[in-house]
Amino acid sequence: MADTDSVQTAKPGHGNSGFVRLMRDGHNLQTIATLMVLTLMCVLFAVLSDRFLTASNFQNIMRNAAPLIIASCGMTAVMIARGLDLSVGSVLAAASVLAASLAVAGVPLYAAFLLGILFGGGVGLINGTIIARLSVSPIIVTLGMLNIARGVAYLITPSAILVGLPRNWSDLGTSKLAGLPMPIVIAIVVACLFHVIMSYSTFGKRIYAIGGNEEAARLSGINVPRALILLYVLCGTTAAIAGIVLSSRVGAGDPNIGVGFELQVIAAVIIGGTSLSGGEGRIIGTVIGALIIAVLGNGLNLAGVEPFWQWVAQGIVLIAAIIIDRQVQDGMRNVKKG
Amino acid sequence: MDARTPPSAETARAADGALLAVSGLSKSFPGVRALHNVDFDLKPGEVHCLIGENGAGKSTLVKIIAGVQAPDDGDMQVNGVTASFSGPLDAQNAGIACIFQELTVVDGLTIAENIALGDEPGSFGIFRQSQARKRAEQLLASIGFTDLPVTRLCGKLSPAEKQAVMIAKALRQNTRIIIMDEPTSPLEDAEVRKLFDVIERLKAAGKGIIYVSHKMREIDLLGDRITVFKDGERVATLNRGEATSEDLVQLMVGRELSNMFPAKSHSPGDIALEVRGLTGPSITDVSFDVRHGEVLGIAGLAGAGRTELLRSIFGADIVHSGTVSVDGSRIGANSVIKAIQAGIGLVPEERRSQGIVPVLTVGDNAGIVWDQFPGQRDGASDRTAAVSEIVDLLKVKTPSLSQRISTLSGGNQQKVVLGKWLLTKTQVMLLDEPTRGIDVGAKREIYQIINDFAEKGLAVVLVSSELPELLGLSDRIIVINGGRIVGELPGDVSEEEVIAVSMLHAERKADTQSNAFQDN
Repeated sequence: MADTDSVQTAKPGHGNSGFVRLMRDGHNLQTIATLMVLTLMCVLFAVLSDRFLTASNFQNIMRNAAPLIIASCGMTAVMIARGLDLSVGSVLAAASVLAASLAVAGVPLYAAFLLGILFGGGVGLINGTIIARLSVSPIIVTLGMLNIARGVAYLITPSAILVGLPRNWSDLGTSKLAGLPMPIVIAIVVACLFHVIMSYSTFGKRIYAIGGNEEAARLSGINVPRALILLYVLCGTTAAIAGIVLSSRVGAGDPNIGVGFELQVIAAVIIGGTSLSGGEGRIIGTVIGALIIAVLGNGLNLAGVEPFWQWVAQGIVLIAAIIIDRQVQDGMRNVKKG
Repeated sequence: MDARTPPSAETARAADGALLAVSGLSKSFPGVRALHNVDFDLKPGEVHCLIGENGAGKSTLVKIIAGVQAPDDGDMQVNGVTASFSGPLDAQNAGIACIFQELTVVDGLTIAENIALGDEPGSFGIFRQSQARKRAEQLLASIGFTDLPVTRLCGKLSPAEKQAVMIAKALRQNTRIIIMDEPTSPLEDAEVRKLFDVIERLKAAGKGIIYVSHKMREIDLLGDRITVFKDGERVATLNRGEATSEDLVQLMVGRELSNMFPAKSHSPGDIALEVRGLTGPSITDVSFDVRHGEVLGIAGLAGAGRTELLRSIFGADIVHSGTVSVDGSRIGANSVIKAIQAGIGLVPEERRSQGIVPVLTVGDNAGIVWDQFPGQRDGASDRTAAVSEIVDLLKVKTPSLSQRISTLSGGNQQKVVLGKWLLTKTQVMLLDEPTRGIDVGAKREIYQIINDFAEKGLAVVLVSSELPELLGLSDRIIVINGGRIVGELPGDVSEEEVIAVSMLHAERKADTQSNAFQDN
């Protein structure tokens, strides 16, 4: 083993060649490229349907995208650290029905919302602790949690809670602030917060370090397990916030919502340019990725495409994004080997 | 302590005030005595070189000092205080830093961010870029790198620059002891000089440097003291100028000759394996022949490309050009399946992760090739009969064929790995470090098996870092370096000659590289 190790590292490197420089500086380039894809899709759908390019439809798209953007922010942070959380869809549903049942039981509305969100953070704490302290693969742990949280949601209520909700239940989802629907405002706030965390905070630097080179992070004295646990807490929290926003907008606490949501979230993050191998990714890219998914659904709807085809289209976009990620990774590896 | 020290090593003992002093250090791994009763010390402002063959104990000593491994026995003092590390962080906090060959920087972060990592300047959790940059600039300037923009991403740096970042980061804490393990191997020659400048600065600042290297020229240039290791023991500690390079090589290899090896009575026949111009990511234009009944040894330093060469012949590593033929017929490139069908077998370097399937039984492991390649089966058509015949032949000590292989000793596991190729019509055996991590008794048995292979007419290609083993078994030796063949020697050559060819070539190559570098 010593043999092969030293061969890999003993190569005279050409790390500062032009191509790598382009790719490294290419974060902006990549963001612009995703933005162009989004624009092209908008142009395409505007041609296919005259109802697409209207102010009310855009507000509609944004409102639909809001829960996706919120949950994707937490997922971006986890995936930059080379993690994954498959439980977000179930956590969203469980937080939703927990808050609704508490509100029905007479707990003040915002206290019920807060408890729902704390529940999400708690699930994240369990995920993170098992993953980081017991070194279990995140896919296994969060796949298990996907089932557990969905089960908990059904245990709280087997069917949607519609009756008995306080009158102001839907305020969060339907009210406006400065002319903008509240879900959009919340999504913007969450995205800005995560952007600051990832780009300007000490914690953010550590997340990139863990994803980019975990050994280097450990040898730098970073408490890797603690950072990972915090990441999963954040991811559970954003999933729960997304659940509260969604259930307020639809006016119900529903254990059936968010089935398959985790795949949309992961798709948004990957389309947004976060590398599957960790260490790279930006919140702004994720936001664009989430918008691409929202526009795709909305546009296909308006163009009269059957809903089942939307599943197919989403899957194709995700696989295409992963293939591009792979190609870029391979390209860089070859350049490094030179 | 003095009683344990060989008198010949008395010449260079450290005075009081040593940065580091270890005594009586021992470490064993299952079946291997990696370090035995070793004394070592480091003074402020000196470069103390460690030399020895692969597996002589240098790396184990370095890992113990760096807190990566815990010793079984012995005492370690840092700045006169007894130290016991439970991990690398403890060692760092005690002022010990490691610069390994692997350049552990985060490519996606800037120089300043990398240097700050783990001890980031900031308030309220917000990372203070300006402070991080200032500190990075100061630390880099202290080792003579004043022109490196600290806002550059580490992914864009050359290996030498990454190394500088790691050294600067190591100086962040109050580091007084710096361990460098083959620090020049990722560097080009022009960059090596820059590293030596850095080392001079560190010495002037009173730091102590432990320098592990295979390269005699570097040791001549840098070493204030040199400690030679052999078979897990310290052979001698010498001051600068006390010994020539030849003396050091003699100390490294000089050992009792033993009758570990069976008498070579091979009678090479026709050419079995013909390799022509084989070129891949780690090997360049390699050509050689091996005859039936011949053992060809491949010598070279760690990282010379020996493992990659075997894997390329076997189709497991990508080959860009060149051909491999068995008994005159050319085999398709880049396919393990075609290589096996042509009669090539590989015993890989890492027995546990590549040689055996630990969860399967002895019988299933032995029959794994037999199962996959019905056309290649040799001898008995009944699997159990075939497998038990081989297990008996190779004297594998196992209660039954249905025993899980992971419960066997390393030597017996390796016999099964060797044996699986005897169940099929194998013509060419590629052996990569076949006795690594195996105790002495089983080694001797495996030597006998290898010798028997050759007598049966198989062509054997043997890679080994243990020169006595290579010389004891091979009819002929080729030396490779940097992925190229740099010399061919007869089987009765001395260890010193093999080392001279491997090492001198490494240095000659570095010279030509630096010339080419300057021409550019």
